Amino acid sequence: MEPLSFLKKLGSMTGLVLLQVLFLNRISLFGYVTPLFYLWFIVRFDSSMSRYSMLLWGFVTGLLIDVFTATPGLNAASSTLAAMIQPSVVKLFLAKERREVIIPGRNTMGTGPLAGYLFLMTLVHHSAYFLLRSIPLEDWLVITAKIVLSTLLTFIAMFAVALSVEKSNQRRPA
Amino acid sequence: MDFIVRHAHVFLFIFLETLSLILLFGLNDNQRIAFLTSANRLSGTFLEWRANAESYLGLKGENERLLKENALLRERLLSLSDSLELERVKVSSDEVFVLARVIDNSVRKDDNYLTIDKGRSDGVEQGMGVFDSRGVVGVVNMAGSHYSVVLPVLNSRSSISCKVVGSGSIGFLEWRGGDPYKAILVDVPYHTAVSAGDTIVTSGFSSAFPENIPVGTVRSVEQHRMSYTLNVSVDLFVDMSDLRWVYVNSRKSDPELEELVGKH
Repeated sequence: MEPLSFLKKLGSMTGLVLLQVLFLNRISLFGYVTPLFYLWFIVRFDSSMSRYSMLLWGFVTGLLIDVFTATPGLNAASSTLAAMIQPSVVKLFLAKERREVIIPGRNTMGTGPLAGYLFLMTLVHHSAYFLLRSIPLEDWLVITAKIVLSTLLTFIAMFAVALSVEKSNQRRPA
Repeated sequence: MDFIVRHAHVFLFIFLETLSLILLFGLNDNQRIAFLTSANRLSGTFLEWRANAESYLGLKGENERLLKENALLRERLLSLSDSLELERVKVSSDEVFVLARVIDNSVRKDDNYLTIDKGRSDGVEQGMGVFDSRGVVGVVNMAGSHYSVVLPVLNSRSSISCKVVGSGSIGFLEWRGGDPYKAILVDVPYHTAVSAGDTIVTSGFSSAFPENIPVGTVRSVEQHRMSYTLNVSVDLFVDMSDLRWVYVNSRKSDPELEELVGKH
């Protein structure tokens, strides 16, 4: 990995972690819904990254979030899972096999597939997060409500950001 | 061999997930991993910074509460000094309260935690009781060197030994999620007289809290015919969503007492 891209990743990760722990973790609508927007860092992994570095970045991001809460390992486990499935989910929503390096976004995937991609990534990550968090799994109705509502909230936030990012930045990296 | 090379990342995945799950389930209550929670220096600094920014918003209410507490303390001091003169009570000097600031807090989750800006270097240790001018807040769950994580009443894992003023019946204060102003006193003996409006205070049976720290008032009493105990619904005195300064009861615990009473 090139040093610049490494530093940029580090900066982006730090920014998202701070956003999550200082502000977003404070949000808890109806006692159920907390947006886990830091997942944005993982959904933007580009296809040039090795599986190892994806997993390690995912794990470290989750662990850093955990450092700010009292549940060590919870976010680490969910984001490692998200980083593991990311390449396969991208492939699932890409119209055809792409040779060039891509960052998942509207320009590379199209609006519809992008929405599907973001939704599936969020659903898997949030399901892992809320299931692990709710062990012993007693109240299924509440757990399902948490997963569904939080997934929707994070998804909407990420989709909105994805669309606005590409509007303001028409030049795509080759 | 080719298979292993192509799927080597799967092993890394399994390794990282195992590590996460060990952290999550194996060591969640362990002091050694306090640095992996908000009891660590890094997050403590950031959370403190945010708490500083937010503290200006609640200054007026905070001031009023302190003034009220001050008045109450003066009143108690007067009556205490009278009784001290009369009975020459020896005041135990090892009962020290550490003043700490709440730098992170939640009430809307089903397992809430709060972080305070005092840790082992200030004499705070795991298992110590935390309360404020209004009443019981929780128990220190993990103590880092400068910050600690507190398991508040509003956590499903919290259980605090309490008694009903008057009848003296004992029970454990627990929380079942939902309303952050309401908790339940469980395992209260069936035959005891408890009625709405009674005051609940700490029992002093564990070393976490001294006796008679206020907890709340009885809202309603429900009879559990199967187990011959009462479930007492309690309105908490402390508004957990509005916590800024708390006291940590840093009295050294008596190992012999701990052993006799068990975990509670």
